[in-house]
Amino acid sequence: MPSPEDGLEQVAETAAVTPKDVRSAMWRHIITLQWSWNYERMQALGYMWSMLPIIKKVYPNKDEMIGAMKRHLTFYNTNPQIGSPPIFGATVALESQKMGDAVDSLKIGLMGPFAGIGDTIQGVLVRPMVAVFAAALALAGSWVGPAMMFVLGLIWCALMVPLFYLGYRRGVGLVDEVAGEGVLSKVTEWATIFGMMVVGGFVPSIMSGLTTPLQFHKTVEVAGKATTKTIALQDTLNQILPSLFPVLVVGLAFWMIHKLKLSPIWVLLSLVALAFITGAIGLF
Amino acid sequence: MASYSIWIALVLGILAYLGIVLNLGPGLWLQEALVVGVITGLIVGNVHLGLTIGATLTLMSLGMWTYGGATMPDFMTGAILGTAVGALGGGETAGLAVAIPASILMTQLDVLGRAVTTVFIHAADKYTERGDIRGVTLMHLLGQLPWGLTRAIPVFIAVWLGAGPIQHIINALPHWFMHGMQVTGTMLPALGFALLLNQMPVKKHWAFLVIGYVLYAYLKLPIIGVALVALAGAALYLKLRGSEARAES
Repeated sequence: MPSPEDGLEQVAETAAVTPKDVRSAMWRHIITLQWSWNYERMQALGYMWSMLPIIKKVYPNKDEMIGAMKRHLTFYNTNPQIGSPPIFGATVALESQKMGDAVDSLKIGLMGPFAGIGDTIQGVLVRPMVAVFAAALALAGSWVGPAMMFVLGLIWCALMVPLFYLGYRRGVGLVDEVAGEGVLSKVTEWATIFGMMVVGGFVPSIMSGLTTPLQFHKTVEVAGKATTKTIALQDTLNQILPSLFPVLVVGLAFWMIHKLKLSPIWVLLSLVALAFITGAIGLF
Repeated sequence: MASYSIWIALVLGILAYLGIVLNLGPGLWLQEALVVGVITGLIVGNVHLGLTIGATLTLMSLGMWTYGGATMPDFMTGAILGTAVGALGGGETAGLAVAIPASILMTQLDVLGRAVTTVFIHAADKYTERGDIRGVTLMHLLGQLPWGLTRAIPVFIAVWLGAGPIQHIINALPHWFMHGMQVTGTMLPALGFALLLNQMPVKKHWAFLVIGYVLYAYLKLPIIGVALVALAGAALYLKLRGSEARAES
C-alpha cells in the first residue's frame, strides 16, 4: 500500500513548496474550513485561508499573491468532510506547480458532484444507520450509544487526511476518476437494501412505547350467568398486527412528506397535534 | 435544586459553542444530540436523562442533513436545554417539553449566525486588496463567533435564569398537557423514519422493509439479529442480480 506521502517529492521539486507547507494547508482546511461560513460565499474564505501557506510560497511577488488570494475568494461550497478534502488536495497540487489558472474550473466542476456524493454517504447511508443503533442503545440506558456517534465523528475526521492526499496525488486526474465510478453505485445499493431492512425492524422496536390502553367490556352469558369480560385492544392487535400504531404513524408521516410535500417542521407540528388529540381521547 | 448556578450555565454555554464550531471544522460530532445530551447529563448529574433526551432527538433527526448549507432544527441546543431543565425534577416529559420547541426556535438563530458572518468575508475582501494576510486570518478565525455565540448565549441565559422558572411553569401544567407530551415523545421518532424513507427507493425495495418488520415484530429477533440478516440479505440480493445480469449478456 502506498503511503499517503507518496508523490510529494515530485510535486515539491517543481516549486518552493515543501511537504510541511502542504501539511499546514491540509490541517488548516480540516480544522477551520467552515469557521467563516456565510450565506454569501459559503466556504470561500476558509478555502482561501487554508491555501495561504502555498500561495505565500509560490507567489513571492505581492501583486501576484493578491491575485491568487482573490481567485480563491469566489463562491465555494461542498460537503466539508468527504467532498472538500480531495478537491482541496488537487488544487493544492495545482497551486504548488503554479498552475493556479486551472484551479477555478476544477473547484467549480467538482464541488457540486462531491457535495452530492458526500452528503449522500454521510447523511443518507451512514449517519442514520449508526444513529438509529446508537439511539436504541441509549434508550436502553447504555453509554455505548453516544460513544458510537462520537467515534463516527472521529472516523470522518480521520478520513479527511487520506482523502486530501488522494486528491493531492491525482491532481487534475481526479475528475476522470470520479466520473464513471461503478463501485460507488454498488455500495450505495448495498447500503440501501441493508438500511431498508434495518429500518423495517427499528420502527416497531424503537416506537414500541406507542400502545393503546383501551379496553372493551363485554357482557357474556356463561352457563346462564352474566359475566363481564375485559378485552384489552392492544392484546388483540398484537395477535394480528403487532406494532400496528408505530407503522401507521410512520406511514402517515411518510405520506405527509412524500405525497403532500410538507416540510419537516409542519410534519413535526402535525405529529405533536396528533399526539395531543389521541392522548386526550384516551387512545394512547 | 430549583435552579442552576452561573457556573453550570457557563459550562453548558461553552459546550454549545464548542459543539457547533467543531462541527464547522473537523466535525467530531460533539453537536450530535446524543453525544451532547450525555455530556450535559454528566454536568447536571443525570446521565440517564441525557441519554433519553439525546436519543429521542436523534431519532427525530434521522433523515435530516444540512444539505448545501440548509438549516435544520438545532437538536444540539435542544438536547442541552432539555436535559438541563428535566434534571431539575421534571424528568423526560419536562425535558422534551423544552427540548423540542427549543430545537425549532433555534433555527431562527442559525439563520442569523449564517447571515452575520457575511460581515467577515466583506472585511476579508478589503484586507485581501491590501495583501494584509494578518487581517485576512483574523477575519476567517473570527467568523466562528456568530456561529458559536448564537448557541452559547441562549443556552447560558436559559440555563442560568430560565431553568428554574421554566421548571415552575412545567410543574403547574395540567395533566392532559404532560400526557400529550409523553405521547409526543413516543410518536416523534416517526418523523425521522419518514424523512429517511423519503430518501430511499421505497417503491423499488419495499420488500426489504417488510422483511425487517416481520423479523422484529413477529419473530422477535433482537435488532442485532435483524442487522445480520439485512447484511446477508443485501449481499445475497446483489450477488443473485449480478449472476442474472451475466446470464443475460
